Amino acid sequence: MYSWRMLREKLFTCLIAVLSLLAIVPIVHLIIAVLINGFTVIAKAGINFFTNLPPAPLSREIGGIAPSIIGTALMTIISLPITVVLALFAAILTTEFPRNTVSIIIDAVAKSLASIPTIAVSMIVFTLIVMPMKGFSALAGAIALSIIALPYAYTYFSTALRSIPAMYREAAFSIAMGRWGAVMKVLIPIARRSIAVGVLMTIARIMGETAALLFTAGRFRTGVSFSPTSPADAIPLLIFDYILSPYETWHQVAWGAAALLLLAYIVLFFATKLIVKEVKL
Amino acid sequence: MFAVEMNNVSVYLGGRQVLKGVTLRVPYNTVFVIMGPSGSGKTTLLRVINRLIDLTEGARVEGSVKVLGFDAMSYDPYELRKLIGMVFQVPNPFPHLTIYDNVAVAARINGVAKSRREVDEVVRWALERAMLWDEVEDRLHDYPHQLSGGQRQRLCLARALAMKPRLLLLDEPTANIDPVNARKLEEAIVSLKDEVTVVMVTHFPHQAARVADYVAVLYDGRVVEQGPAQQLFLRPTTDIAQKLLRGEM
Repeated sequence: MYSWRMLREKLFTCLIAVLSLLAIVPIVHLIIAVLINGFTVIAKAGINFFTNLPPAPLSREIGGIAPSIIGTALMTIISLPITVVLALFAAILTTEFPRNTVSIIIDAVAKSLASIPTIAVSMIVFTLIVMPMKGFSALAGAIALSIIALPYAYTYFSTALRSIPAMYREAAFSIAMGRWGAVMKVLIPIARRSIAVGVLMTIARIMGETAALLFTAGRFRTGVSFSPTSPADAIPLLIFDYILSPYETWHQVAWGAAALLLLAYIVLFFATKLIVKEVKL
Repeated sequence: MFAVEMNNVSVYLGGRQVLKGVTLRVPYNTVFVIMGPSGSGKTTLLRVINRLIDLTEGARVEGSVKVLGFDAMSYDPYELRKLIGMVFQVPNPFPHLTIYDNVAVAARINGVAKSRREVDEVVRWALERAMLWDEVEDRLHDYPHQLSGGQRQRLCLARALAMKPRLLLLDEPTANIDPVNARKLEEAIVSLKDEVTVVMVTHFPHQAARVADYVAVLYDGRVVEQGPAQQLFLRPTTDIAQKLLRGEM
């Protein structure tokens, strides 16, 4: 026979299980819906989905999203190194010298940067980059994306570095490593898994951002451009525009594009897990 | 000449005085044991010697500290630490490095060994001196988490020895390991004193009796008694030392 305490424990476990399920069900539903709808479209379009231009509004052909794929790849390639390098150095500085005035300012700026609406960042970059360059460009889009992703990357990296027990830092200093040596040879390698996850989340943030590109990238969908100074498109921009349109074909393209983006995240997630091994403390 | 000479050393951590005018002298090539109850300032004292105290936010050191003939407080701390190895209370081998690399990294950083062959030799020598070689010689590329707690602590001793230090600081090195490993570590410590001066913190009187040449008793940030181990164990002059040796503190 159950005592009241055991019964209460069982009830609590059930409650937690039900609440967890309630949180997971919408996410799983979303992922399955996007993958099923999206891959139906991609299967219908075939390889053309990756190589062709988007369809005309009343076209029956699904066409492709080549300009958006190239644009997203180009802007990610430009934006990611800038973001990761700046965020990692900022995280190292604020972790190693937490009371330093520069560290305090960087920390405050990073936190406030995260709360600026992304559309406002897009407008600022429009004023500072797009207008002087006299045109939209992948570079302007990438800079806007870097500004958006920087505080997120910084938060991931600084949390990763701060989570390392102080005893390893002390061990590094005790064998006469300098501060830089301790960071590069001990702290970063120990935190490599968390840092890799931080890089992954930064890629996800860059690849999935829409509003930052509204006034910067240029929605160039009539051709494929590999130039950073030319206008470009991005997958989230295309999804945003096409899903709001009244055309059935464009809705289908948007599903396909969303599935592709989601698949990219899933592949990156598992690749990171497989490639970067966790350090067992 | 002494390996460590402290004169009237006081340490303040965030306004609280942890060491209160400590004066002690550690002769070369001896095992010098510092005993005292928890919170008496033993670890802080060790961290002053190799300037790890610099890592503590808001720490202030007053008085004179001479280590191996150098004025420790004005000497470059990185250069100073090249002369001093340290083993901590909790085993802290680098978890991302193999057993071999944990030892090799200390030898390479301090310029003790450069070529692969030299590094191999130092790694073997350090692991032998730490009495770990026989247990790991065929698993040098395993990671520290695959070792027992006691083996991990002896790996830390090997890492410290690979620097070929002139002074070795041991902060309660057997506090978190089993008696068998503790005994092996003690044997290693005693065998080292011909090559290196050892300053060891412990709160186990029996351990101090087994390894110490000299003992200092620290209480509430002050050295209340110090001298040759035999003399102090047989005829402690202060009430605090007597209680500590009887295990009543």
